[in-house]
Amino acid sequence: MLRFWSWALLRLAAVMLMASFAGAMLMRVAPGFSSDDQELNSGLSAQSIQAVRKARLVDANVPRFYAQYIASLVKGDLGVSRSLNLPVKDLLRERLPVTLLNLAFALAVGWLLGLALAIATQTWNLRALTFLANGLSGTFISTPAAALALVFLLLRWSPAFAAALLVFPKIYRYAQNLLQQSSEMPHVLTARAKGAGPWRVLAWHVAPIALPQLIALVGVSISIGIGVLLPIEVVSDVAGIGQLAWHAAQSRDLPLLVNLTMVVTFMTVCATLVSDAAQRGFMRSAA
Amino acid sequence: MKIVHIIAIAVLCLTALTILGASYLAPAGYEQQFRETPQAAPSTHHPLGTDDLGRDRWARLLYGMRVSLTLAPLAALFTTVLAGLVGGVAGYFGGWTERCCKLLIDLFLSVPWMFLLITVRAVLPLNVSPEASVTVTFALLGLLGWAASARVICTGAKELMKSEFVWQARAQGFSGFKLIRLHLLPNLRGALLAQFWISVPVFIIAEANLGALGLGVAEPLPSLGSLLRELQEVVTLRPEPWRLLPLVVLIVVISSFQVLLNKQEVRA
Repeated sequence: MLRFWSWALLRLAAVMLMASFAGAMLMRVAPGFSSDDQELNSGLSAQSIQAVRKARLVDANVPRFYAQYIASLVKGDLGVSRSLNLPVKDLLRERLPVTLLNLAFALAVGWLLGLALAIATQTWNLRALTFLANGLSGTFISTPAAALALVFLLLRWSPAFAAALLVFPKIYRYAQNLLQQSSEMPHVLTARAKGAGPWRVLAWHVAPIALPQLIALVGVSISIGIGVLLPIEVVSDVAGIGQLAWHAAQSRDLPLLVNLTMVVTFMTVCATLVSDAAQRGFMRSAA
Repeated sequence: MKIVHIIAIAVLCLTALTILGASYLAPAGYEQQFRETPQAAPSTHHPLGTDDLGRDRWARLLYGMRVSLTLAPLAALFTTVLAGLVGGVAGYFGGWTERCCKLLIDLFLSVPWMFLLITVRAVLPLNVSPEASVTVTFALLGLLGWAASARVICTGAKELMKSEFVWQARAQGFSGFKLIRLHLLPNLRGALLAQFWISVPVFIIAEANLGALGLGVAEPLPSLGSLLRELQEVVTLRPEPWRLLPLVVLIVVISSFQVLLNKQEVRA
C-alpha cells in the first residue's frame, strides 16, 4: 500500500509539472501570444505601448519563466496575475470553492440520476422506461455544454444542473452496460432460476461484480465534470475557475494560466488516484 | 434491425445528401447580405428568416453543416492516425518506449482537453482569416483528442504482440514493417475504425462548444458551432424559436451517430 501511494504521489507531481509546462508552451507557441489587445488602444502613448510589449517579453522565454515559477512555488508564492493585478493565491481562494461546489452538485445529481435510471431499466425491464432513459441520455450526450448553458440561462435554471445533465448520460450508459453484462453471468442466472427476487439479485449478485468498475468511473466523471463546467461557467457568468481560465487565456495571462492548469490537473489526477485506490481496496477485501 | 437504427441511418444519409447538395438547396450564398431585410421572419424567400446582417439563416445552416460535418471526420482521421502511431509504437516496442508513451498518454488524459482546447484557441489572434480559423480549430481538435484512443490501440497492439500467430511470424523471420503491415495493422483495423467513429461526434460537439463561445470558425464562414452564437441573444429565443434549429440539427445528427455507435453497427 505504501509503495502504491509513493508511486502515486510521484506520478501526481510529475504529471502536474509536465501538464502546466505543456500548457505554458502551447500558449507560447500559439501565434497570438505576442500580441496584446492594449496595443490597439488609441488612448495609449507610444511609450505605454512599448512598456506593454516589454512586459509581455518577460513571459516569452517559457523555460526561464517556468524555472522562476517553480522556485517561487516552492516558497508558497503562486505569483501575481498580470491581467487582474491580484495575487493568484487570492483569486484561487475566491474562485475555487464556487467551482468545487458546482462540481459536487453536478456529480451528485448526475450519478444519482444515471445510477437510478440504469438500475430501474435493468430491474423492471420496461420498454417505455428504457426508451425514455435512452432518449434522455442520447439527447444530453449530443448537446454541447455551452448550448445547454444558454438554454438554462433562458429558463433561469441553475447552471450546475446543466452540468449534472451532461454528466448523467456517461454514468447511465456505462452503468447500464455494466449491469447488463453482470446480469448475464452464470451465477446470476442461477440465482434467478432458483427464485431470487430482482432486488436481491441486484444487491447480492450483480452489485459486487459491477461496483469496482463503477468506483473507477468516479475519477473519470470528475474529469468530465470539470470539462463541461468550463464552458458553462463562461456562458452563465459564474465566477469559478472555468471563467477565470477563460479570462486568463484571452488576456494571455501566463502566470494565472499555469496555476490553473496545475489546479485542474491536480483535481483530475487526485480523483483518478483515489478511485484507483478505492477500487484496489474493494477488490482486496472481496478476495 | 430496430426502427431507431433505421431512423438513425436515414438521418445520416439525409444529412450527407444535404451537405452534398447545399449549393443547390440554399437560396443564396452563406455570406450574401439582404440589407433591406435584416432580422426577417421566416418566409418563402428565407425559410428560416435572416440574421442581424441580413444573411439567409437556411443557407448558413446548410453550409455550416457542410463545414462541421466534413471537417470533423477529417480531424477524427488525423487523431486516429496519431493514436495509431503512438499506441502502435508503445504496443509494438514495449519496455521503456511503452512507458514513455503511456506517460505522454496519461499527461494528455490528466488535463481535461476542453480546457486545453479553449486555452490554446483563445490565444489565436482575433483577426485570423476564416480559412485559417477553420483549419486551426479542427487541427487542434485532432491534435488534442488522441490520448484515449491511443490507450485502446496500445492495449490491442500489446495483446497482438503476445498472440501465437505473431510469435510464429517472428519465428519465420518476419520483423519490422512487414510484421506491422501483414499482422498488426489488419488486426487493429477494427479498433482503429471504432476510435475513428467515436471521435467524429465528439469533435462535432467540441467544435460546437468552441463556436458557441466565439472561438470556433471565424466569420463569415458558418459552422454548426458558430451558428449557435445566435443563441446568446437569449431574449429573442422565445419570440423566434426557429433560431434553435441549428441546435436541434446538431442534437439529431449526434444522436444518430450515438445510436449506431451504441449498437456497434458502425464498428463492424
